[in-house]
Amino acid sequence: MQLTYTPEQQAFRAEVRAWMETHVPKEPLITLECREGYDQHVAWERTLASGNWGMVTWPEAFGGRRLDLIQWLIFEEEYFRAGGPNRANQNGIFLLGPTIMEFGTEEQKARFLPPMARGEVIWAQAWSEPGAGSDMAAISSKAVRDGDHYVITGQKTWSSRAAFADWGFGMFRTDPESKRHKGLTFILFDLNSPGITRRPIRQLHGDTGFAELFFDEVRVPVENCLAGEGEGWNVAMATAGFERGLMLRSPGRFQATAKRLVELYRQHEAEASPTAREAVTQAWMAAQAYAYNTYAVAAKIMAGGKIGAEASLNKIFWSELDRAMHRTAMQLLGAHAELKRFDDGSINAWLEGYIFSLSGPIYAGSNEVQRNITAERLLGLPRVGAG
Amino acid sequence: MDMLFTDDQLALAETVRDYLAGTHGPEVLRRLDVDGNRDPAIWQGLVDMGLTGLLIPEDQGGLGMGLADAALIAVECGRACLAEPLVETAFVAVPWLVAQGRTSELAAILAGTTKPELSHAINPWVADGTGAALTSVDPLRNLTAAPAERSDDPLLLNLGALMSAAQLVGLADAMLAQAVEYAKIRTQFGQPIGAFQGLKHQLASCAVAIEFAKPVLWRAAQALADGLDSAAVHVSHAKVAATDAAQLTSETAIQVHGAMGYTYEVDLHFWMKRSWALSGAWGSRAFHLRRVDAAVLGGSHPVGPEHTFA
Ligand SMILES: Cc1cc2nc3c(=O)[nH]c(=O)nc-3n(C[C@H](O)[C@H](O)[C@H](O)COP(=O)(O)OP(=O)(O)OC[C@H]3O[C@@H](n4cnc5c(N)ncnc54)[C@H](O)[C@@H]3O)c2cc1C
Repeated sequence: MQLTYTPEQQAFRAEVRAWMETHVPKEPLITLECREGYDQHVAWERTLASGNWGMVTWPEAFGGRRLDLIQWLIFEEEYFRAGGPNRANQNGIFLLGPTIMEFGTEEQKARFLPPMARGEVIWAQAWSEPGAGSDMAAISSKAVRDGDHYVITGQKTWSSRAAFADWGFGMFRTDPESKRHKGLTFILFDLNSPGITRRPIRQLHGDTGFAELFFDEVRVPVENCLAGEGEGWNVAMATAGFERGLMLRSPGRFQATAKRLVELYRQHEAEASPTAREAVTQAWMAAQAYAYNTYAVAAKIMAGGKIGAEASLNKIFWSELDRAMHRTAMQLLGAHAELKRFDDGSINAWLEGYIFSLSGPIYAGSNEVQRNITAERLLGLPRVGAG
Repeated sequence: MDMLFTDDQLALAETVRDYLAGTHGPEVLRRLDVDGNRDPAIWQGLVDMGLTGLLIPEDQGGLGMGLADAALIAVECGRACLAEPLVETAFVAVPWLVAQGRTSELAAILAGTTKPELSHAINPWVADGTGAALTSVDPLRNLTAAPAERSDDPLLLNLGALMSAAQLVGLADAMLAQAVEYAKIRTQFGQPIGAFQGLKHQLASCAVAIEFAKPVLWRAAQALADGLDSAAVHVSHAKVAATDAAQLTSETAIQVHGAMGYTYEVDLHFWMKRSWALSGAWGSRAFHLRRVDAAVLGGSHPVGPEHTFA
């Protein structure tokens, strides 16, 4: 155990800090969940890529810097210190990119990864269906083989950023006789393909953060299938592991929120309750605990270890922490909490953040499902009955 | 930057874990409870393993290890619900005496013949002291008042709080394991109760609390070992996190056991009561929360993503 940074790590931090200080937009971007905001965020992805800061952990050959996980943590800390925007490219960086690196052919890697790293192609995840939410094995959208194409028919939903994104990665049933998790295939498709209709869905805050996708005999070349036909479930489980595991929500994000909460508390100290005070201290403690844990997991992975079902503990922890921090802020804001813009015209980011924090325990596998996984795979409780 | 124990450190902790599991199981706790609480053979076994000398410098005949090693082993003492005052003697008193330069007192501790009685304004009584006996809810605690030596040195307080936190983490781990085992074997409505989601989710929440208390504990141990100015904040953070994890787990564990959990016959009560005792020892939750609060909200401790370790 050695909890100090090397001179190289300190120098790297200084390098990231300097770049972020010059490049992170001074004014917060408009929300990613509308056309104008989406375009601003994509432009930011390209700025990041211009400094080669888009996909820092990826190999150089695909447009990355091959940073180790400690450097990645330092990068993220500095990114959030500088108030860096949400990542329009997050599906590519944390989900599809690592999945293609693990399961893709050399052609697929060369074709899909560099444009992803340059922020030229933004990806949407198309797994959920009206009848297949937590129970993803209930997927019924079909991909039928026709020569060197699949013909896709069906419906996907809740696909984040799909209203504006360029490409999608989905799970489709290629074997019509198959049941549950057998016979599913992981397929990449151009969202502008003929036969795809996108219907934006308004989210709780009123903007169109996700979309429904209707597939009417959409023809997709067979070479867009990732891993083999029928291998979709295994690929998706690996992808879901990346999502819940280390990288989707780096600690910097929550430490930055905790810091803003401490500052908010100081402004409202006179009228704040002792419970609110405790909740603020608790927020800092939990955000730090999450950071320490991530450093410990990073060290474990760098030493050759793996994370398995522990990823579920992570997902439960950060999502419930985020909700608790925003709830506390809403309480501190009192009558101002409901305002979408404060008196001075600035956006009430706490309100936006609170609304978004309510989705954390739902997406990336609901927290009930994560608790099932924890109980069954980590604690070894039996799988009989409900759950 | 490497937040990982070495294989050697983990191997030593595992040796202690196996030793205690083999020689200090629940049947030993039950025997001690009816038979005077202490057995010199248990203490001698710990001395023979070299554990009283873990933190004694090598030139004084000890193993010369650090606080992070000691914290790992204190977790094991909690897991085994060890009643002997090994942690207070070897992991609290020894490093404090060393810091005070009182090396002449170490030989007797190493040999196992002296168990120093140290107390602090925040912790007015000690286990296994020579003063008047007090009755703790923990039947094996041997609590005594008015100890011979009293100090207000913050290092002593931080050592005591850190090592209490470590034991609480081990106690919580053990209570979770007991509840999980019971949930696998007890059947109702034709299935093991552990298949009921209502219990699964409560037990999973305990696993979350324990998982995220551990790295806080390691961080605190290393901060104190490195002599950081901010060590007090990290120790207090660890004490709060460990107390909360142990409290949640003890209440969940008794609930999972049903009426069995409410008896003196099921072993769980030893662990539960030790966790109640240590939650208040060396500074209550409120005391430690206030220390974190004063530093973080008061502004003396830096806050933000770039301050994970500074
Ligand atoms: C903001 C947001 C963004 C999203 N982005 C995407 C995306 O980009 N791509 C995509 O494919 N999907 C996306 N999703 C969908 C997300 O993956 C699903 O919402 C999630 O898997 C849950 O499915 P569901 O909404 O159908 O809820 P349900 O599965 O209907 O669950 C409803 C409730 O029942 C509980 N429940 C279900 N099964 C169990 C069980 N076995 N045990 C206990 N409780 C259970 C759930 O925990 C939940 O509380 C997004 C969702 C949100 C909110």
